[in-house]
Amino acid sequence: MATFRVHQLVPNFRPGDAMGAAAIGFQRALRHLGFTGEVFAGEVAPGCEAIVHPIARLRVERDDLVLYHHGIASSLVAKLLHLPCRRGLVFHNITPARFYAGTRLAEPLVTGRAQLTALAGHVDVAIGVSRFNASELEAAGHRDVKVVPLLVEPERFAASEADATLLARLSRAGSPRVLAVSRVVPHKRVDDLLSLHQALKRIAPRAQLTVVGGYDAGQRAFKALKARADDLGQVTFLGKVTHAQLVAAYRSAELFVSMSEHEGLGVPLLEAFASEVPVLAFGAAAVPETMGGRGLVFDEKHFAALAEVAAQLVSDAPLRGALIAGQRERLRDFSLEAVADGLRAALPAPPPSRPRRSKRPRVAFVVQRFGEFIVGGAEAHARQVALALAPRVNVEVFTTCATDHLSWKNELPPGTSRDGPLTVHRFPASRFRNIRAFNRTSKEVFGTAQDLVAETRWLADQGPTAPALLDALVAARERFDAVAFFTYLYQPTVYGVPLLADRALVVPTAHDEPPLAFHLYADVFERPRALLCNTPEEEALIRARFPNAAPSSVVGVGVTPLPARPERFRDAFDLAGPYLLYVGRMEAGKGVAELLEFHQAMVRAFHDAPTLVLAGAGELKPKGARVLAVGRVDEQTKWDALSGALAVVVPSRYESLSLLALEAFAVGTPIIGHTAGAVVRGQLERSQGGAGYDDEASFLEAVRVVGERRGPLSKRARAYGAKHQWRNVIDAWLSAIERVREGVKR
Amino acid sequence: MRLFGKDVTTQKLLEVAKERLGARGLLPPSEDSGLADGVEPPVDAFAFAIEAMAEHVDVTRGLPIETHRDGLAGQAVVLAKRAFRRVGQLFINEALARQVVFNGHALDGYATLGAEVAKLREQVAGLEAALTKAQAPAAKAPVLKAPSAPKAPAEKPKRPRRPRTPPR
Repeated sequence: MATFRVHQLVPNFRPGDAMGAAAIGFQRALRHLGFTGEVFAGEVAPGCEAIVHPIARLRVERDDLVLYHHGIASSLVAKLLHLPCRRGLVFHNITPARFYAGTRLAEPLVTGRAQLTALAGHVDVAIGVSRFNASELEAAGHRDVKVVPLLVEPERFAASEADATLLARLSRAGSPRVLAVSRVVPHKRVDDLLSLHQALKRIAPRAQLTVVGGYDAGQRAFKALKARADDLGQVTFLGKVTHAQLVAAYRSAELFVSMSEHEGLGVPLLEAFASEVPVLAFGAAAVPETMGGRGLVFDEKHFAALAEVAAQLVSDAPLRGALIAGQRERLRDFSLEAVADGLRAALPAPPPSRPRRSKRPRVAFVVQRFGEFIVGGAEAHARQVALALAPRVNVEVFTTCATDHLSWKNELPPGTSRDGPLTVHRFPASRFRNIRAFNRTSKEVFGTAQDLVAETRWLADQGPTAPALLDALVAARERFDAVAFFTYLYQPTVYGVPLLADRALVVPTAHDEPPLAFHLYADVFERPRALLCNTPEEEALIRARFPNAAPSSVVGVGVTPLPARPERFRDAFDLAGPYLLYVGRMEAGKGVAELLEFHQAMVRAFHDAPTLVLAGAGELKPKGARVLAVGRVDEQTKWDALSGALAVVVPSRYESLSLLALEAFAVGTPIIGHTAGAVVRGQLERSQGGAGYDDEASFLEAVRVVGERRGPLSKRARAYGAKHQWRNVIDAWLSAIERVREGVKR
Repeated sequence: MRLFGKDVTTQKLLEVAKERLGARGLLPPSEDSGLADGVEPPVDAFAFAIEAMAEHVDVTRGLPIETHRDGLAGQAVVLAKRAFRRVGQLFINEALARQVVFNGHALDGYATLGAEVAKLREQVAGLEAALTKAQAPAAKAPVLKAPSAPKAPAEKPKRPRRPRTPPR
């Protein structure tokens, strides 16, 4: 397996740029081949710093490979020629300078071609993103040129991904609705699109032409085009659009037309394929190859004849159906598997690995934070499982130096240490999170469809980004029979699972939250050997979202309460009377703000309202009448508090297990749980050991019910809690590890 | 004009289009292909670099004036740039004089290197061709063996007698 990194270089990186998107797509495919590596650029657009690094930060080792994406003259060529490692070239083609004669762009275009020739003989890997591009590389003197397609993900162009408002607006317009997606630049021949539109209007007066893509409003050529479009009527220049708007444009169109006279591949043609729009394209350069015989290609711009063909394509349903079916089939050649296969054939073979096999299973645990200091959540869950497995399995933990998940600041020293029977390897996070900026980004990103670059950016902004952790994991892969990833959400899991898919186990701790809609997470749910879920609700949720998910089972956790003395907790915090307890992160996302609001309403309404005790740390600083915030507490204090509470409140809507509920049940304390989340609702239904709420009135009612019927509720809670035994959990883990051991090729 | 696509009968599609064009009194498309495309010819890196450097060796000469701005703002920018060049050209020449001289030397140096590289490449190509030619017969020529006659014991070549030194 891979023991060298594959970095990529792009001249500049900004959202919407095709070469940058190609590099991010390649990076994903490279992870599927087991290669780590980062993307670097000469210029990085603001907001993209989390996924692309400035070239000055590139550090390589002799065996590393740096793939440089070439599409225009770039000073990176000189840099590439002198890198002390293996070098590769990915050629995206360069528009012939004849289209730009007399403009400032002509010279960089010719320079780019001269650089292509200059690189011949100085690169170890030469890749064209089409056969056409590969032929140009060969003509420029490159040898052993391979073709690797670009990634096109059809699911990102499904009807459900479209911006509903724009889709409705565009679909209401007249018919035939013709779409072109390209920048308004000379070689794309928008003037020819207008000529076709003119011809089409003669036979279909309500014809619409929509052009999506950036334009230079001040440019004389654009002004002339705009004036002609205005004369013709029913022409819309949408300019640059978001991904969801782009999908809306495709999905509203009845026909996609390309008049471009030079394409090195033609990604919009494939996006139109994915959007189920028939494509009619001028067969210039790599266009026929891109289409692979699907859609329709023409070789002469006879606009009247093309208008007649277009009219037939729009009105003839069987014809459209046949074209769309063929186009869909063509997309297989641009799937993640096809890209990975192409890269596998193009890259140098990694040195053979030396597997080690021991009698006692060896398992790596990968989790974003780790340590005794973490009270609840997936990280505490990971530690509990690791400690429970330790008597029968060698467990090594790969984690970050962070203690705080809001900032990911490196507060613990990097390196290897011990945590009882566990070996813990800590790696520094490469950047810290600004939680406010991240929350703003999340608001923009959630709820609307995004492209791969935007999802990758969000993931990196969320953190923790720890490339050294992934490098170490890949280097140590043969030491482990299985690698268990905790929490689907964070980058170490999203990047780590495809890197070590043949031995990956994932404990997703997934719940119904906006990021689960990201297509990027298919790598986490579809690639590993098995998913170990916490509840039947979580398993059902994953299957509904990812129908091709890996085999899964409900494993959960065991709960072993410490002997508790409630009065010790009361004495320590000078607490009298009944109290409700919450233990966990103090965050709005956990429902704590809402809980405080409901509790304060109860305090105002009832003189004997119980105190609300909150244990844990986070961005919220709880305040209010009869509110006691005790901060982080140790294990013994937690169990003392749990056993003495009137009820434990589980306010989060987003739970995959609710360890807090299980711990409360284990000591016979009923819970008051938010029923908006399926998991807590399921725990309440299965246990019958508490009451649910979803608004202020039902919260007050739940407290009343628990107050009046605590005895029988406590009995049922204890009985349900007793079912969660560690021995069952460990047996399930051992059998999952054994299945992975048997399946890994050795 | 031709139509290509393997999922539908393109000929029929084109025939219908031609019929409709005829009915409207319009000329049908030609039968020939309008495509004349292949890969772009490669650009010789050295030759291009020298040409491009020569083009830009005089850095006092400005690039064509352009702007991406629309309307009045665009016109104002163009005017401002033009005015700046007209007024400032003397100072530009003065400030960049040494750079122009340096660029000239850099261009000469690069051109010399380029010529050397071209000559060396030619020599290497010649040597490689000669090597190939020299190796070719040994590797490729069929080895014909004549029916072997019994070998006579090789006679020891007689050493020519050294002429005696004539008596003095």
